[in-house]
Amino acid sequence: MDPVKAQQLAAELEVEMMADMYNRMTNACHRKCVPPHYKEAELTKGESVCLDRCVAKYLDLHERLGRKLTELSVQDEEMMRKAAVGSG
Amino acid sequence: MRQNHLRSTQPCLPALSAAGAAATPQQQHCTHQTNGTNMRALVFRQHLLEALSLRNMAASTRAANAAASNPQGPASVGPSVDSPTLQYSMILEHLIGDKRPVKGLNPAVMGGLPVPPKSDEQKMIERGMESCAFKSLLACVGGFVLGGAFGVFTAGIDTNVGIDPKDPLRTPTAREVLKDMGQRGMSYAKNFAIVGAMFSCTECIIESHRGKSDWKNAVYSGCVTGGAIGFRAGLKAGVLGCGGFAAFSAAIEYYLR
Repeated sequence: MDPVKAQQLAAELEVEMMADMYNRMTNACHRKCVPPHYKEAELTKGESVCLDRCVAKYLDLHERLGRKLTELSVQDEEMMRKAAVGSG
Repeated sequence: MRQNHLRSTQPCLPALSAAGAAATPQQQHCTHQTNGTNMRALVFRQHLLEALSLRNMAASTRAANAAASNPQGPASVGPSVDSPTLQYSMILEHLIGDKRPVKGLNPAVMGGLPVPPKSDEQKMIERGMESCAFKSLLACVGGFVLGGAFGVFTAGIDTNVGIDPKDPLRTPTAREVLKDMGQRGMSYAKNFAIVGAMFSCTECIIESHRGKSDWKNAVYSGCVTGGAIGFRAGLKAGVLGCGGFAAFSAAIEYYLR
């Protein structure tokens, strides 16, 4: 499989992935940072600071896990290839 | 939830869902919205074709998702592949690894309500108005005005001006009274301004550090402010000031919340 096809396929999957990530991040950070006391309509300073931190952590986590996952995936494929070569 | 929302933004296109079976009720829902039976049949056929092509891709997506969510089984990646030409490591590198493209996240696409983007100036102004410095400046000015009013009012009640030991019954002149009111007003105003600025500044700093917005911020900052004011007269006065001001702040917060 050539890299161009892989890139195209990734671009198609990316829309759904980003939408899913955004929704999950919104739910998680809302649950953690915004307690259900709605005395005023605007976000207070503490909540804004908490949301900034939550988003930064979430995206950092996403990036690290993605990198680790691609590493593991490369290792898996190496092993598979060796097994295929060895048995074939 | 995600799939429902993707459907709502594009009402009659089949959603990019991993479950191919979910496409069928979507088509039926969409065809009810078009006018005319010929149009309906055409749209239905078109959706069927798209769903079939998407079903193929959905199968590979499901396999990619299964591979993505199952990293600890090295042998499970191989048998779960539908078509042997998909190389997941390369796809993953372009999707979540190092080769992924830089995306401009647009809330209209992501799932929020589409709002017009804020200009840089507006963002800067809003950040300035939310900052601790601006809040403490506001409290300082407010304290100054309030203190001035309070001082002038108190000077009217508790006057001690114009007392002449030789003639204790002399009424003070207007100039003396005004001077006394001005002095007291200024002195009270300065004190109130300093206290207000300190309290607001410490409360904003503590709230930014904690990341929460509740009554404890006011209590902690009350203790700091009272302690700082009382500390000038010794340690015990500082502790008393801390306790008293914290209790006062707690009472105000209880009343406000």
